[in-house]
Amino acid sequence: MQAEATVIPVKAVKVTFTAGFSRRYTDSIREFEVQAKNIRGVIRAMNDLFPGLGETLEEETSIAIDGVIHEVDYTQPVKPGSEVFFIPRIEGG
Amino acid sequence: MLTNTKDIEQVMKVVGTSPVRPDGVPKVTGQAQYGADYSLPGMLWAKVLRSPHAHARILSVDTSKAAALPGVKGIILGSDFPDHPFDYVGPERVAQNYWHMTRNIMAREKALFEGHAIAAVAATTSAIAAEAVSLIEVKYEVLQHCIDVEDAMKPDAPLLFEDMITRGVEPAPSKPSNISKRLEFSVGDIAAGFASADEVVEMSFKTAAVHQGYIEPHSCLARYGADGQCELWSASQGHFVVRAYTAKLVGMEIGNLLVHPAEIGGGFGGKTVVYVEPMAVLLSRKTGHPVKIMMSREDVFKSTGPTSGSSMTVKIGVKKDGTIVAAEGLFKFQAGAFPGSPVMNATMCAFAPYIIPNVKSVGFDVVSNRPKSAAYRAPGSPISAFAVESVLDILAKKIGMDPLKLRLKNAVKAGSPTAWGPKHSHDGYAETIQALLDHPQYNKPLGKNQGRGVASGFWFNGGGESTASVHINEDGTVVIATGSMDVGGSRASMALMAAETLGVPYESVRSTVADTASIGYNHVTGGSRVTYATGIAVVEACNKVIEDLRLRASLMWDTDIKNVVWSDGYAKPVDPSVGNFEPLSLKAIAGKRAVTGGPIGFEASTNAGGQAPGFSTQFVDVEVDPETGHVKILQFVAAQDVGRAIHRDYCAGQIVGGVVQGIGWALNEEYIYDSKGRLSNAGFLDYRIPVASDLPMIEAVLVEVPNPSHPFGVKGVGEANIVPPMAAIANAIENAIGRRMTELPMSPPRVLAAIDAG
Amino acid sequence: MSKHHVTTVINGDPVEFLCQPNVSLLDVLRDELNMTGTKEGCGTGDCGACSVTLDGRLVCSCLVLGVEAQGKSIQTIEGMANGETLHVLQRKFLEHAALQCGICTPGFLIAARSLLERNNNPTEEEVRFWLAGNLCRCTGYNNIITAVLEAAREMRGA
Repeated sequence: MQAEATVIPVKAVKVTFTAGFSRRYTDSIREFEVQAKNIRGVIRAMNDLFPGLGETLEEETSIAIDGVIHEVDYTQPVKPGSEVFFIPRIEGG
Repeated sequence: MLTNTKDIEQVMKVVGTSPVRPDGVPKVTGQAQYGADYSLPGMLWAKVLRSPHAHARILSVDTSKAAALPGVKGIILGSDFPDHPFDYVGPERVAQNYWHMTRNIMAREKALFEGHAIAAVAATTSAIAAEAVSLIEVKYEVLQHCIDVEDAMKPDAPLLFEDMITRGVEPAPSKPSNISKRLEFSVGDIAAGFASADEVVEMSFKTAAVHQGYIEPHSCLARYGADGQCELWSASQGHFVVRAYTAKLVGMEIGNLLVHPAEIGGGFGGKTVVYVEPMAVLLSRKTGHPVKIMMSREDVFKSTGPTSGSSMTVKIGVKKDGTIVAAEGLFKFQAGAFPGSPVMNATMCAFAPYIIPNVKSVGFDVVSNRPKSAAYRAPGSPISAFAVESVLDILAKKIGMDPLKLRLKNAVKAGSPTAWGPKHSHDGYAETIQALLDHPQYNKPLGKNQGRGVASGFWFNGGGESTASVHINEDGTVVIATGSMDVGGSRASMALMAAETLGVPYESVRSTVADTASIGYNHVTGGSRVTYATGIAVVEACNKVIEDLRLRASLMWDTDIKNVVWSDGYAKPVDPSVGNFEPLSLKAIAGKRAVTGGPIGFEASTNAGGQAPGFSTQFVDVEVDPETGHVKILQFVAAQDVGRAIHRDYCAGQIVGGVVQGIGWALNEEYIYDSKGRLSNAGFLDYRIPVASDLPMIEAVLVEVPNPSHPFGVKGVGEANIVPPMAAIANAIENAIGRRMTELPMSPPRVLAAIDAG
Repeated sequence: MSKHHVTTVINGDPVEFLCQPNVSLLDVLRDELNMTGTKEGCGTGDCGACSVTLDGRLVCSCLVLGVEAQGKSIQTIEGMANGETLHVLQRKFLEHAALQCGICTPGFLIAARSLLERNNNPTEEEVRFWLAGNLCRCTGYNNIITAVLEAAREMRGA
């Protein structure tokens, strides 16, 4: 007799875009929930929803993971329940 | 990770001191080589023909007389550069459009500003090149021009680009205009927010464009070889970026261009782009000789990007107890001849220091007939801060609250929201306010016509790509190399961090800046990123070296690596049971390197994240002369959260330097145009930057709230200090004479007019 | 335009050069004599980066013609140190972090030495006004002023 696997739901990662970015690229939807363990997973999930979006995210944005700013880095881990905010990339002077 | 200052105090041996910098002696003896200090045998001199008109169609260019002049070896026009498709690429805030960029280097269809490069001549002497330039005949069809941002936005304004349709507006406008882009950040419900306020203030402001004012004009030397390999000596804030832009603009592979980092005589953002490099490379290719170009000071003012002039309206509502309930900002920025003002930064930074539930921040990027704007120290933020911090001051007075306490009440900290999305991730702002509240001079009484003003400011600070290498010499001394240009002592900070990590004396570390063929990619020295990101790369490389030193020692002692620790610059046995081994210095291990694996050295790269923003809070005491309108700075105290000061004096130097630029911005600096759109003050006499006799000693207060994401707790220091001064001075003038200045600069005629207006 | 032959003394050494009559001393120093320690910041005498002394007088070399050097004695930044021994001012500039990018530094050092030759105990205000002709965009002048006052103190033996 096979034991039934218990599925423990993993809290999703919340993905947010600015209003301007969402108008351009995600049909004006600003917030999404995806399953991912790292930024690579987040980008892949968003690219599945909007083909081509992945490259835009890599080229044009930085990210804030729970407020801490990072460059887009595939290996950067994200915890369940984290908020990943894609923000316009900054240049200084 | 180090998480509080007390931990750091106990651990640091060299970080936090102020030793002499490695490039110090060359710079005080005149030996250091800046962009214009290089020569090569057979070198040609190039001069540039620039448009005398603010806006004109270029009908024809006849270079025949110039080409016939003996000594002239080559002439180039805009059409000699490859063209690029019209396309915005890259990050939205700083999107590059190479169709624009190549036309900024040299005009094609139109001259879009006085000073716009039309042609360049290379000749055997600079005198011949200059004479040849005067022989080039250009037929222009002069067009109407517009310079002020409001003028450029009028429906009947002369258009720079007949096909410019504003981006960011839905539905897109049907008619072209000079408005390249509209953007907006909003959160909450500002109508409801203002309705709930006890006091609301709305005010409009204007600021003039100001130049970064670096003392060194742009210069470079290019040598293009018959094998398609080119070497370029250039003074810039980032030789890898120079390589990338120049290669693309000239139409060559990045790998065929080697850029040497000349010392740089000031940049402040203005040297993160190229002007003369593509011209020099192309002329060198065409003539088969090395070509040197040096801009004149007049060229620098007429042709290189200042920051934007602006027109702004800010409205803020507060409750009686000082809680800010709503804020609205409209920011119209001059981009210059091509799109790309820092208006997005301005809209994001404007209200960033404050917890405000309802915010709407709108920006317009507008082209007009002046040089394309370039980054200037915290680009955009000082401009919007002038408006916001002035309005906050008015509100503080209305509700009878000390202006520092108003800011403290609403101050963001880790976890606070921003108007543009993610939460703030670091503390530090409140600490800068508290530093001033605790300052013994803050409540010092003032005399007649004297006043005190405060202001705060925010800047993101940068992370990004850096590479560093660390090698151990045969005698145990250390060489570190990065690709980060040294504008203010970063060689010293890198050496301090390396010395601290390795546990060796600062004097044993040589700290260099390597060319593009000798080190991996480094992003620009700007954005307050070098001590942070390049520091991370240096520490990572040192940690790799330490691992290897432990391995070498383990081989020398014939024991397992887990029995070796690295401590205070020596390999030591982890405990006496390992054996009776004397500690091994770098010199001892380096002496045995050949038999333990060869030379000892590693490189580390990073795309650094986790940087913390910069916050600065400042107060200034002024005295206004009611007869002349002259404003004298009596005292200026600037507090900034630097995370952890690696080199204390250079850290303080950044704060003082930024404040003084802000003082010039506040009181004197502006571009003065005649009715034909030509610059009347294209020199340092009439473009008046602060001189030593204008100023007292400026006091920098280093607040240290470490950033746990950096091995030493560093937060970028270079830029946040230029954000508050203009508003602080305006607030001080109001406090002194009861007049609210809403236009920059607050020069004597303007202050006098305000006094007389009553 | 044919060139003139000029005989002069630079940093104590006899020097000869050829230059056209409309060429500045700054351009002669940098481009003819390869003495690039003196810098061009503006070419119109407004920034002081090209400061040298001419027969002991502080001048902007961009406002002096090369031919005017005939028979005179010039001091440039290259002559300020004595071999491995830095001048007190140079040492103080380093100790007090009086430079960031360093482009204005040669001009400031020449100007400051000129001041201290005339007045070995200047007040802060006197130092600021003497140096008002030298522009610095990086430092805000704090540490430059401190370095000059400290150098004066050491030179007085105080």
